[in-house]
Amino acid sequence: MKDQVAIVGVGCTKFGERYERSYEDLICDAAFAAYADAGIDPADIQAGYLGTYLPGPGGGKSATSLADALRLYGRPITRVENYCATGTDAVRNACLAIASGAYNVVLVVGAEKLKDRGGRGIPRLGHPLLARGNTAPGLFALAANRYMHTFGVGRETLAKVAVKNHWNGARNDKAHLRSEITVDQVLAAPLIAHPFGLFDCCPTTDGAAAAILCRRELAPRLSRRPPILVKAATLAVETGKPYFDPTFDYLGFRSTQKAAQAAYAMAGIQPGDIDFAEVHDCFTWTEISNIEDLGFCEKGSGWRWVEEGRTALHGDRPINPSGGLKSFGHPIGASGVRMVYECVVQLRGEAGERQVRSPRLGLAHNVGGPGAVAGVVVLGNA
Amino acid sequence: MAVDATLALIGSGDPARFDMLHFASTSAPYLEKQVAAVVATACDLPRQVAVADFGGSLRAGVSALRLALDAVSAGTSRGAVVVAADVRQAEPGSDLEPQLGDGACAVAVGREGVVAELLGRGSVAEEFTWLWRTDDQRYVQLADARFAATYAFARDVPEAVGAALQRVDIAPSQVAKLALAAPDPRAAADAARRIGCSPHTLVPALAAEAGMLGTPEPLVLLSRALETAAPGDIIVVAGFGEGAEALVFRATVALATARPVPAAERLAGGLPLASYAHWLRSRRILPLDVAGETVPPYIAWKELKQDLRLYGSRCTACGLVQYPQARVCQGCGAREQLVDHKLAKTGTVFTFTLDNLAQVPEHPMPMVVVDLDGGGRLYLQGTDCGEGEIDVGARVVLTLRRLHEAGGNRNYFWKARPAS
Repeated sequence: MKDQVAIVGVGCTKFGERYERSYEDLICDAAFAAYADAGIDPADIQAGYLGTYLPGPGGGKSATSLADALRLYGRPITRVENYCATGTDAVRNACLAIASGAYNVVLVVGAEKLKDRGGRGIPRLGHPLLARGNTAPGLFALAANRYMHTFGVGRETLAKVAVKNHWNGARNDKAHLRSEITVDQVLAAPLIAHPFGLFDCCPTTDGAAAAILCRRELAPRLSRRPPILVKAATLAVETGKPYFDPTFDYLGFRSTQKAAQAAYAMAGIQPGDIDFAEVHDCFTWTEISNIEDLGFCEKGSGWRWVEEGRTALHGDRPINPSGGLKSFGHPIGASGVRMVYECVVQLRGEAGERQVRSPRLGLAHNVGGPGAVAGVVVLGNA
Repeated sequence: MAVDATLALIGSGDPARFDMLHFASTSAPYLEKQVAAVVATACDLPRQVAVADFGGSLRAGVSALRLALDAVSAGTSRGAVVVAADVRQAEPGSDLEPQLGDGACAVAVGREGVVAELLGRGSVAEEFTWLWRTDDQRYVQLADARFAATYAFARDVPEAVGAALQRVDIAPSQVAKLALAAPDPRAAADAARRIGCSPHTLVPALAAEAGMLGTPEPLVLLSRALETAAPGDIIVVAGFGEGAEALVFRATVALATARPVPAAERLAGGLPLASYAHWLRSRRILPLDVAGETVPPYIAWKELKQDLRLYGSRCTACGLVQYPQARVCQGCGAREQLVDHKLAKTGTVFTFTLDNLAQVPEHPMPMVVVDLDGGGRLYLQGTDCGEGEIDVGARVVLTLRRLHEAGGNRNYFWKARPAS
């Protein structure tokens, strides 16, 4: 797959409480922006992939959700769902479709309307008795507590992840949360699920992002934008019930480790070759675990990178230059595609105040389940 | 509570030695549905078990015990569990409310390892209005406590006890311990004197520490008596309500090495509640909206062994104990080589969180990942936890609780509470 697929256009809505836009509106906003960015006619699109986790009253089930929103009829469209890896998995499927030779031009849209169903957080699905009482923050908190107990890390270190990401998000006009915060504010915030306080958790958000992918050779003919090449797109699946797995150490996620290893092999690179990464910081602890699981540093030492400022925008390995899920929230199906959007903008050198210095390779990562499925996409300049 | 008491009774023994289970209560969760069957299943008694629910009166625990003793004596049962449990609630804010308590007590009846041998019984029954609750009343109603103590308790209990002792030719002066579930200590002392016993023989009630427990009270007092009785001691147990029922026992030699766990120990594990509102919510007096999905009866039935009897699977190829039950081993991938494995109900916390977001009545709600003794890892809600009691490495015990009431039913499942 390496270097066979190019991204020629991307679009992204403002992420936030978007009550004034419907689910279909968000798809249109993101897709129209991607059409314009690529300079293509939607008639050229031969197939589509829609990433949405939770169908709602406005749509989200089946291919028809994308077809009806954009009037893209008569083409094969697949709705993808894979917990929080939905977005990167939609991109991966589009890449496979193109690399197989079946299609030349494919549209990927990630869209999610979490706010319309009301309530706090995401509804808990699953068995009526087993694991009842679990919440998204609660499930990641299990790992955070074990990690903090094992490596002697405190809440102040986790807080620094939130501070950094808010700093980046304050410079991103598409982010949901755009205010800079301090460690003290993070520590004083109400506790959601110990050890996570309100500012350790990403907000509940609506949003959509889109990308136009094509066969690499067709890129110059199709679009005036410089193509960004897909170096790797991988997915790894582990148990969806890690809390029932007596061998699980709760210090990180095998799925991220395996998806990353497969991605580096596919791209023919080492983890150290990645210049910046958009990683899945659903909670502050998760970002720390992610940079270890992605192979940037040893297990148990990610927290030191945070303390030393190495993951800051102008550090030696910028993590989440966009502001991350912490600033953008996590409209689940959209996040992976939004990360790809950010990687493309950075690699084109168009990130303005948030520009990472001379990037050549960027990485987008999702993990969900929690820990059950992870997707990694590696992008680079031609 | 009935499940907790019965599990404690069975301990590491084999539940299959019981072929009968009697459950007694005046506050059963169901008016129509057999609670004894729920208790028997959760305690993993064999399917072939004779069950009965007893209710209606505070003496029902003694009645349940009498009939189990008769069955074993007649040879129609090899061994029986008699368990009484009550959650007693009066009108919130009433004088009666703080006098009432909750508890459960389980007694094993059989022919081997007998610690107290039944000698005789006596019973008086007559209509009398003292405490009651009709089928559409939520709270226990009280007529007149002093009137009941003077005109019913003072007559009925001595008459029933007297008849019991007379039938087996035992003089009141020979009675070592008098376990009387009484409306108040004065009434108990008065009844003792009327029977012809010294008030010193009275087994102290738990009124001050736990309130009046209801159907379990006579059984708890019997247990208390057995904590200190000497072999050969005559022990009289009596319950009161619309009359009185008495049983006369003699402590055996075996008692010396088979003492019950002291009631004081059970009381020591108390947890102060932060507020009266917490109390009212836990009693479902203040409305709760605990999130849950209806448990379809098809799923409840199919998963009975896994969810209620708490069986996991053990892989015969690699030995890994796992939960939920599986057909492909989580560890080695072996297919269709797993067998049923009964999980232990004690374990150590591997990790946890305290969740303020979960839709439950009280926050924070502990969620724990527990490595059970002997294998198997469970993830479930914690309960009855004081501050700081749940942490990595803490010891916990599993207890059967009402998880939620989705679908308008009581949906029971296991929770973890601190072992101390």
